[in-house]
Amino acid sequence: MKLQTKNLNLFSKTTLRHWKREPKNTLLLITVLALGVGVFLSIRLANRAAVSGFTLFTDSIAGESDFIVRAPIGDLPVSILPEIRDALGPLPVGIHPIIETTAARTAKTEASLYRLVGVDLVSLNNAVYLEAKSDHSKTSPPSNQPFDVKLGDSRLVLIGETMAASEGLKVGDVLPLILDDRRIELEISAILPNNPLRASIPENLILFDLPGLQKLIGKPDKISRVELKIPPGEDRQRILAETKKRLSEIAETQFAIDTPSNRESSAEQMTAAFRLNLTILSTLALIVGVYLIFQALEASVVKRRPEIAILRSLGVESWRIQRAWLFESLIIGMIGSAFGILLGYGMAQLAVGSIAMTVNTLYFENTTTAARLDSGEALFAFLFGLGSSLVAGAIPAREAAATPPSQSLKSGVRSMGLPILRKPIIGVVFVVAAIALSQLPPIRGAGDLRIPLGGYLGALFWLLGLSILAGLLFPTVRKVLMGFSSKNAPLKYAASQFRNPGGRHRLTAAGLLVAVGMAAGMAILVASFEHTLTGWIKNLLKADLYVATAGTSNIGNENLIREDTWKVVAARPEVEGVDIIRRQFIRIDGKETWLAGSVYNQNSDRRLRLIWVEKPTDPNPENLNLDLPNKTIPVWISETFGRRFSVGMDDTIELPIPDFEVTGTVKGIYADYGNERGMVVVHRDRIVTWFGDESVNNVAVYLNQGTDPETARTAFKKEFPNLVIRTNEKLRNESLTIFHRTFSVTYALEAIAIFVAVAGLGMALAGLLIDRKSELTTLKEIGFTRRQIATATLWEGLGLGIVGTLGGLILSLALGHLLIFVVNRQSFGWTLDYQIPLMSLLSLGALTIATSGIVAFCVGWFGAKLRREQEG
Amino acid sequence: MNSNSTEPVLRVSNLTKAYGDRTVLSDVSFSLAAGERVGLMGTSGSGKSTLLNCLGGIDKPDSGSIEITGNFIQEKTADELCKIRRETVSTIFQFFHLLPTLSARENIELPLELIGIHIDERNERVQNLLEEIQLTHRADATPDELSGGEMQRVAIARALAPRPKLILADEPTGNLDSKTGESILDLLEALSQKHDTAMLLVTHSKAATRICSRTLKIHDGALETSN
Repeated sequence: MKLQTKNLNLFSKTTLRHWKREPKNTLLLITVLALGVGVFLSIRLANRAAVSGFTLFTDSIAGESDFIVRAPIGDLPVSILPEIRDALGPLPVGIHPIIETTAARTAKTEASLYRLVGVDLVSLNNAVYLEAKSDHSKTSPPSNQPFDVKLGDSRLVLIGETMAASEGLKVGDVLPLILDDRRIELEISAILPNNPLRASIPENLILFDLPGLQKLIGKPDKISRVELKIPPGEDRQRILAETKKRLSEIAETQFAIDTPSNRESSAEQMTAAFRLNLTILSTLALIVGVYLIFQALEASVVKRRPEIAILRSLGVESWRIQRAWLFESLIIGMIGSAFGILLGYGMAQLAVGSIAMTVNTLYFENTTTAARLDSGEALFAFLFGLGSSLVAGAIPAREAAATPPSQSLKSGVRSMGLPILRKPIIGVVFVVAAIALSQLPPIRGAGDLRIPLGGYLGALFWLLGLSILAGLLFPTVRKVLMGFSSKNAPLKYAASQFRNPGGRHRLTAAGLLVAVGMAAGMAILVASFEHTLTGWIKNLLKADLYVATAGTSNIGNENLIREDTWKVVAARPEVEGVDIIRRQFIRIDGKETWLAGSVYNQNSDRRLRLIWVEKPTDPNPENLNLDLPNKTIPVWISETFGRRFSVGMDDTIELPIPDFEVTGTVKGIYADYGNERGMVVVHRDRIVTWFGDESVNNVAVYLNQGTDPETARTAFKKEFPNLVIRTNEKLRNESLTIFHRTFSVTYALEAIAIFVAVAGLGMALAGLLIDRKSELTTLKEIGFTRRQIATATLWEGLGLGIVGTLGGLILSLALGHLLIFVVNRQSFGWTLDYQIPLMSLLSLGALTIATSGIVAFCVGWFGAKLRREQEG
Repeated sequence: MNSNSTEPVLRVSNLTKAYGDRTVLSDVSFSLAAGERVGLMGTSGSGKSTLLNCLGGIDKPDSGSIEITGNFIQEKTADELCKIRRETVSTIFQFFHLLPTLSARENIELPLELIGIHIDERNERVQNLLEEIQLTHRADATPDELSGGEMQRVAIARALAPRPKLILADEPTGNLDSKTGESILDLLEALSQKHDTAMLLVTHSKAATRICSRTLKIHDGALETSN
């Protein structure tokens, strides 16, 4: 207790008073930590929100189901319901058949997508605690009031309170939608209030009576799934087990049994690699922030060294001084992390849109618009920030404690910094370790998750190794600067600082190197991705017009172009030929993927060409219709499918087609950067045979030679107003826009990292000037003007900027290679062409060096006022 | 400038300086002729350092005037003061204050670069000064490789390099052993004579004033005696 009091006194009598005297410094430190923690937390919250946007409607309406029964592909027949009822016998299990599809608000390209869900409202009314509003402006009527819906009506629908509020809808309003390729009009018959005890009703959910939606979409005898719910009670566990057993007995190949938690965790697994990558990137901002805190605390040690020495000479033990410094970093950590949580919550709201859109495009449909502050994530971020601050404070604290009393009145004593930075051999060892680690295979996690741990560790060791080796660049930079210094005293003085650079110089350069290296490494990844994607799109998009249903950029879109529509499109006189594709979800080994049936235009040379990872011996897509000698059918798979299901060329795949025994043999593997679930491609005729449905998802139209695409598009649009029709150029541009949007969070994180690193450089230079205030006074006494001192600091900042940037650019080449050939390939299974975006890297380097110079000049301008203590 | 044998290099008139309520310099007046070496003695806190800072243009007096080779320095802008420090007044310190990252040669050369002297003349002057302080063989050593006496020799050479009219020497032997201190005093005397440079030698030590023609004593900010 006594010791604690002493510590507190030391803290309040020294540290607190310094904070009071220099509030701006303290504020900057706290801001930087808050920024680091904020970025880290915001990405995690936004990630979480994007994944949690994947909810089943029952979570919000009827509470969570216990089991979900669905077909391995396509829909279930209604006849499955009595079978299930019979199998379950007297077990008290609620059976809720559901049919689900999507519709878009308008036929615009990026139209928002709605989920149309048909449920048996009578059975649901009996089973759950629904409240309906007959007028949304009034409070809810008492519970158990039946829905005010004419049962089986395909026009009358219910919507949630959130959707009603955001779209200004009320009971009786008409809601026009595009379903498949036609326009429909729905009438709002009731508005469901949000229930605080359950998940909110998704904003895009429109509820029908089951027969109403079945009739609307022309599937009177089909359902999408059956949700089963067991009431609470003592016997619940037994009934759960018994239900599962009895369902399994009748399931065979006709349906799969799932649970909502399984579905959610599979959604989480699917996006795990994507989220992990973002989290790691967001950690960068925190790492650079840690480095900044380290710099700042070290600067404060230097600045207060005489004071520490006086304390030491008065008999204060070194461990007590060390503890006071650690206590200081603890307090900064606590305050900074607390602000970081608030900042992170705010930033998450900005980031969530971008992340949710990426998830929508690549993984699954979700409706996330806001991130919630999760207490677990907030605590994690707080502790991470606190721990980082303590780590950052540890070395300066040790340095403070090591200050001998004799240094009290000496000036010009240079800080030691990190001794490891002076040992290039360790840097070489780290680089060798990095190369070795990057050869390791990925660690397999749950489901599809593959963690490229070796890749990440390799990146870390590259980063550490080059941070150390960057010190070797100082002599060269000095030599270059000296070459220009014959008539420039400030430049000569600045260059002389790199003769035997101190720990702070090396550390500052290392901090810049990390930030520039990571940012440039990401730029290489993005450029490689863009180059590959552009090439892929160029090969893929050979047609003149693309016809699709509304909401096509959303992977959850289930709208189809019916046979009578696309055949009219194909038969138009200006059309030379079409590519058509029909794709649908299929479950293989319990994992959802796509099955696609395609027919490609063979009438012209401008036909679509897939980019092969493993080229088929017979690349003619028409021949996919021929059976193979081993009684299997030929299939092509995407690279991602191969990775997810661990299949390669000539491997076989069992396709769970109802009433058919289908085995496919992989005869080609193509690159596909459009989805992460993977795809199996068969001839479209097979799909028609298996499912008896001629509808398609997309039609790519090849026009006759000489036909103007824009004129044709206008004509098409007039005939098919409910379809989205884009020219080749527009679709290319849209694809690239989506791509850039996907990376927008990445760009923001890079900018923050560079900002923090340059702020670190400013702080380091300020520390250096404090370190050298005796020298500054000497310079003034020799005749240096304030501008010349600032110019000398500018040159020094530029020198540091050059070392950090050069090292960073070298690091980026290694990191880019790792990200593309190890991390990306192991996480996503995508093969990318390694591209170095020379102009982007040069711009980034020039910007960093220039900013370093400007910051350095400002620091020098203010630092020039520093004076040594009076002597003698 | 306009210095000649009859005009003093330095003329201080009624100089007063206070920090808050505390008067540090009180009505100080004295002058130095060209080539004259004058000692300034006083105890700690007597105002020696403040006086030197005012003479060097680092501090501004509250009242009174400082005239160096005909220039009233309190009327000068910051840049003009820099020019005076580069060309007319040099300072030698107790703790040498060499720039640690520059070699001995570079330390001596730096003020010449500031003045803009051509490289050939710079090299010649630096070489001559190195010979005069007998450190030609240590020209490329950095301060941490030099002894205290060597560092002070380099500091003296640096001070003399721009051929100033006045040197302010602040306890130049205060951080040296007595034998080295003696040799430094001899060097100062010889070089100030050779270059006809006036010198104000601030010291605690009576013995150090042996190279001075007269000694001023300062006590509580006021000059007591003038010999």
